[in-house]
Amino acid sequence: MDFALTADEEAFAAVVKRFLAEHPPERFAADGMDAGYGSGAHSRAFLRALAEQGWLSMTWPKTFGGQERPMFFKLVLMEELARAGAPFGPLPGCWQTADAIIEYGSERLRSQLLPQIARGEATFWQGFSEPGAGSDLLALKTEARRDGDDYVIRGHKIWSSHAGISRYGLVFARTSREARRSRGFSMFVVPNGTAGMDIRPIRSLTGDVYHYEVFLDDVRVPAELRLGPEGEGFVALLNGLDSDRFWGRFYKAPALERVLHQLVEYANTTMVRGTPLARDPLVRRRLAGAAVDVAALRTLFYRAACLLRDGAPITYETAVAKVLADETGQKVARLGMDLLGLWGPLRAGSPWAKLDGQIAHLYQTTLGHTIAGGTNEILRTTVAVRGLGLPSAR
Amino acid sequence: MLVSTAREFLRRHCPPERVQEWALDERGVDEKLWQHIAELGWPGLLVDPALGGSGGSILDVVLLVEQMGYACLASPFVTSAVVVTSLLATAGSADQQKRLLSALASGELIATLALVEEAGSPDPDDVMLACRVPGRLTGRKLFVKDAHVANLLAIVVREREGLSLLLLPSNRFGIARRALAQISGEKIFEIVFDGVEVTADDRLGPAGHGGAPLASAFQAGALARTAEMVGGAQRILDLAVEHARTRVQGGRPIGGYQAIQHACADLVRDVDTSRGLLYLAAWKAAEGLPAATDIAIAKAHAAEACLAVARRGHQIFGAMSYCEEHPLHLVHKRIQAASLDFGDTQSQLEVVAQSIGLT
Repeated sequence: MDFALTADEEAFAAVVKRFLAEHPPERFAADGMDAGYGSGAHSRAFLRALAEQGWLSMTWPKTFGGQERPMFFKLVLMEELARAGAPFGPLPGCWQTADAIIEYGSERLRSQLLPQIARGEATFWQGFSEPGAGSDLLALKTEARRDGDDYVIRGHKIWSSHAGISRYGLVFARTSREARRSRGFSMFVVPNGTAGMDIRPIRSLTGDVYHYEVFLDDVRVPAELRLGPEGEGFVALLNGLDSDRFWGRFYKAPALERVLHQLVEYANTTMVRGTPLARDPLVRRRLAGAAVDVAALRTLFYRAACLLRDGAPITYETAVAKVLADETGQKVARLGMDLLGLWGPLRAGSPWAKLDGQIAHLYQTTLGHTIAGGTNEILRTTVAVRGLGLPSAR
Repeated sequence: MLVSTAREFLRRHCPPERVQEWALDERGVDEKLWQHIAELGWPGLLVDPALGGSGGSILDVVLLVEQMGYACLASPFVTSAVVVTSLLATAGSADQQKRLLSALASGELIATLALVEEAGSPDPDDVMLACRVPGRLTGRKLFVKDAHVANLLAIVVREREGLSLLLLPSNRFGIARRALAQISGEKIFEIVFDGVEVTADDRLGPAGHGGAPLASAFQAGALARTAEMVGGAQRILDLAVEHARTRVQGGRPIGGYQAIQHACADLVRDVDTSRGLLYLAAWKAAEGLPAATDIAIAKAHAAEACLAVARRGHQIFGAMSYCEEHPLHLVHKRIQAASLDFGDTQSQLEVVAQSIGLT
């Protein structure tokens, strides 16, 4: 049993800290909303700055231009970025897509996309959900019909994060109607701007745009842009979802630590009838309790990380980690709103807003987290059926 | 190795029927089983090999006690082989260590800690029992675990110089005990000291220097009790999942209903997080890294999460788990008792509050 970072990882953490000191996150323009997961806002400029350090491709095989660094370097990087509140929004999606391309991708995807990703120029949206296919993903209707060397995709995707400002979509579509329920699906890398693609913003309850819906009206895609063998998309997607839950939530614990520090600072400096709020026993207890919750969250992610690193089978570990991450996020946001009282709901930029209105933003965005990427209900069922071997309810 | 041996041994020698018997029995400790445990070398886990121990770490202790918690074993292991052994290892003179640690390691000697008083608090600041050395000790201690089988009492007292530790044989003239009936079946006592003679030889460490060794033994105790909670919660998870797979209602196993599935998923979450925090804290303590905050976090979390596991377990089992003969309630009450020892949740959270910088 060893919980220590290696000397290499410690040294890398110091490098990242230095980078952050030299590249203060607030100097980078945000071009897409911070969805509150902990990876900050979408910023192309910051992504390029990360790319300049070679960090987008650092774990790839050398043959694809990588440095073959161990996976834990990614965790070290994300922890440091999340603790600093850096806008690295697109990074986890870039990493995951690159991993999939390295594993299943055609020559063309490898030779064209990997260098773009490494330079921080390619970002991705996920086209999974549809209006009639949310928790029941396999009810999706989007079809990709083979036509010579191309596929022609027709359908309607929704809840695609940052689709309007990304470079490519990962579109999950049915390629065979005959095949059994879970077979007959494939994944396609579709460049934004392809003829027949109509991307429309959905204004979220925060007042900003994070999600888009995408209409695909006979969008023609070369077969080389299919990611993985035809009909095997679902297996790849399931594996992908396990790592999606992991990479999409790993930075939540350090990000929540950051929020907690802000709340502690607020409680220490806010006077109530001459006494710091921090002296209120209930406030103290709730803040300490939240720190315990965040520590608990962190252990689940590190355990899942060790399993991923060692290539051990994952049945429920990332599902339970995501459930806890998003419920802990809601708890911390609620605690923040309770501490701030009447100031809590004031928006960023409003007169009298406390903590830059970040708590109100977190409170709103965390509402979506227990729904996105598999609802907590679906995931608890996954834990019970895949993890504990309980009978499927179907 | 230690874990698999312990698991198998306890499965064989500590089945639910026996746990039940011990809980209902006034004495509640099986001397033969303790002897067997001693032969396995467990009481010597923290003792130096030169004194007949195996020189293990607190992490080894945690792994072992987790299995004891799983089996719901009632034994003086934590108080004797972890807490008082730690006290002696840090504060004992060479002679005391030689004499007492080897006897503790072999299991011949059983010791317990007398700390808490009528304030109901284990905080050293709440220790009021005054003593002059040499002199006579008069007063009482409460919540002293396994005092009926302990031959040696480690007593925390207040001298003019500050907090001191005494080691008295439990049969010294003037020491009496009275059993407190605890719902968990753990055996705890009130100890009354009535003019008990105390000499300088009875001291463990110099006068007024009891605080530091007590703090480190206290941490060992907190880790061990947390391990018991984690083991108990894992047991409840295993029992509940087995029940959900096999109990049929409405024509299907109840584990096929989402209400039960989701309850079971929450059990997994609570057990996994409790164990993760426990191992992290124990690892830090074993490595000699600062671990006080991690221990407080681990214990506060386990107290909340493992008790939630126990309560949810009852709901999954339904009426059957309300019976005395069903194993669940004793595991539940053991977790409950462990959650209060060596700092309850309120005091652990205050440690955490300070660690995150609350003024």
